Amino acid sequence: MKKILIVDDEQDIVESLKFVLENYDYTCYCAYNGEDGLKLAREIVPDLIILDVMMPRINGFKISRLLKFDAKYKNIPILMVTARSQEEDKLIGEETGADEYITKPFDLDDVVKIVKKYLEKEN
Amino acid sequence: MGIVLLISENEELINHYKNLLDKKPNKYTACCNDTSILDLIEVEPPDIFILDESITTINCDFTIKKIKSRLENAQIILITDGQETKQDYNKYINGYINTEFPDELITSIINSHLKTKEKLELLSGKNKDLADSLYRLNVLYSTSSQFAGTLNTKELLTYMTEGLDKSLSFDLTCTISFGFENEPVLLINSLYDISEELMSALKLRAILNYKSLFENSKPPFDINDKELKIIKNIKNPNTKFNFTIFQYDNMFAPIDLGDNFFGCIEIFKEKPFTTDDATYFQTIVQQVSLPLKSAGLYKEIIEKNEELEKLERVKSEFISIVSHELRTPLTPIKNALSILSSGRCGILGESAQKFIDMAKRNVENLTNIINDILDINKIEAGKMDFNYRLMNIHSVIENVRSNFDCVAKENEITFNTQEQENLPEIYADSQRLGQVLTNLVSNAIKFTPKGKQITIKSELKNSTDIGYNKHFETELNNLSGNYIVVSVIDEGIGIKEENLLKAFDKFTQIENSLSRKVGGTGLGLPIAKQLIKAHKGTIWCDSEENKGSSFYFALPISSECKECQTIQKELL
Repeated sequence: MKKILIVDDEQDIVESLKFVLENYDYTCYCAYNGEDGLKLAREIVPDLIILDVMMPRINGFKISRLLKFDAKYKNIPILMVTARSQEEDKLIGEETGADEYITKPFDLDDVVKIVKKYLEKEN
Repeated sequence: MGIVLLISENEELINHYKNLLDKKPNKYTACCNDTSILDLIEVEPPDIFILDESITTINCDFTIKKIKSRLENAQIILITDGQETKQDYNKYINGYINTEFPDELITSIINSHLKTKEKLELLSGKNKDLADSLYRLNVLYSTSSQFAGTLNTKELLTYMTEGLDKSLSFDLTCTISFGFENEPVLLINSLYDISEELMSALKLRAILNYKSLFENSKPPFDINDKELKIIKNIKNPNTKFNFTIFQYDNMFAPIDLGDNFFGCIEIFKEKPFTTDDATYFQTIVQQVSLPLKSAGLYKEIIEKNEELEKLERVKSEFISIVSHELRTPLTPIKNALSILSSGRCGILGESAQKFIDMAKRNVENLTNIINDILDINKIEAGKMDFNYRLMNIHSVIENVRSNFDCVAKENEITFNTQEQENLPEIYADSQRLGQVLTNLVSNAIKFTPKGKQITIKSELKNSTDIGYNKHFETELNNLSGNYIVVSVIDEGIGIKEENLLKAFDKFTQIENSLSRKVGGTGLGLPIAKQLIKAHKGTIWCDSEENKGSSFYFALPISSECKECQTIQKELL
């Protein structure tokens, strides 16, 4: 079973994503802050990561960079979730290496579509 | 009384003239060498020089030129022996006396030259006065031009001092001014440097002068001699004034305009001031008051403006933060609704599904509103990013048409496109243009009743046949060259003429009752306007009530738009 890591400090968002993705038979791992997210990513080496941008301690852009510049993790697709806030605008322009961006409030069906695009490629 | 100088070495001649001239009201002197002549010119300048041409102890030519260069109006009479001479100095000679002349003739010649001299002096005195007045008038004129040219308090006071210096050549001025940073300042403009003791004396004197203006009322500012800031401007720092300055002549005046008080000025000069001086002083000091008032008001405006700008920034930040905070809770709501309606939690009853759909629709609306507010906020803050590419307008129109096909069918509206073929490519952000067209079409659908039609048109037009609309005259007149014009034409309720311009204003919704029925933030058109403006294009509309509206936007063709080419080059 493919492993998906969901990192977002909003528990409700994590829960709804988890519910839908598990319905499609993906195994979901959840983290509620950047630090835990990064730790978990390195530990379980997921097949895909859904990553919120604005989080306490380590923001999503930083996590994405750390993983994408590491040979061991660079092939994990990253789906970045943004809220188009001002703090995010300040970070724009930085190299993040994320594969996809999706804006809050997103459509669950869109997320599923993107996830399938990356995880069911070989099929 | 005239002063006569005889230049001769002939004793007989000297005595003879002494008898003729040395009685009141004349004063008669005689001498026969260069040095004593030059000394006399300095000490007691003679009115008439009588020069014995036969003199051998001096050089006539040199002496005459010397006299004329020092005393322009002095009369020179030459005593000759009657022989005609051709000398270079003859042109400076005012009269001749022959040694053979009788005494009466000699006296009358001398007297008439004395009179001439007197009149000449008078004339040149008047001339000098005239030149002086003219100079001062010029100073006044240029000073008042300078006053009119600035709204800066410091500059105004500098011009005032310069004007006073040129017209009165003062030794020292002490000005108390309140125009600087809202605290009183003592401005010292001085010919020579001022010792510390003298400075404290001047300071005390300035404060006393200031207080004397408000004997019966409270002064507008409390001035404390310890805190009074001093700005010095010294012309010759190598010399120092001493306390004799207080014996100089002085004038004092307040700088005010009606109820507005700007300060006061005292001016010192070693030589006494004349009545004219007093007039010039008053005039210049009064003249500076009006611009000083304007300068104060100007400063207020600038400060208010800065405050407003700050408020605008705070507002913009507030909007951004609030919108962001609204987005986050919207996400799980949307997700929850989507999960429920997908049937993953069990099949829903018909009415449950209806209400879930209602909630979903409204979440969608709310999302659009937040997006609009964020967009207009970003555009106004100049933070909107554009992704310009060479593109064809056809793809944008096709995209929007297919997105709205379903909605149009649901509303029983016929949806047409009329596109001119082979339109040139333009330099634009296709996503933003799509946003503009989406806004226009969704408005058209909102306001068009069942059974009517909506048309999207695209065509290449020259600015000369783009059309005329008096409400958008300025915008349309600015167009020149060829444009791609996209029109969205509906058969809806139309817009009243007086509301046409308002349609593009922020947060304006024409007729509140109507807007409640159709919904929306009223931001669609203002956003469209800003996006088109960013593309160096123009957006406008025609409308007739109950017949329908046509919205147009014109985009410059990149090969003809210099600004587009610049952007293009920057990107490459």
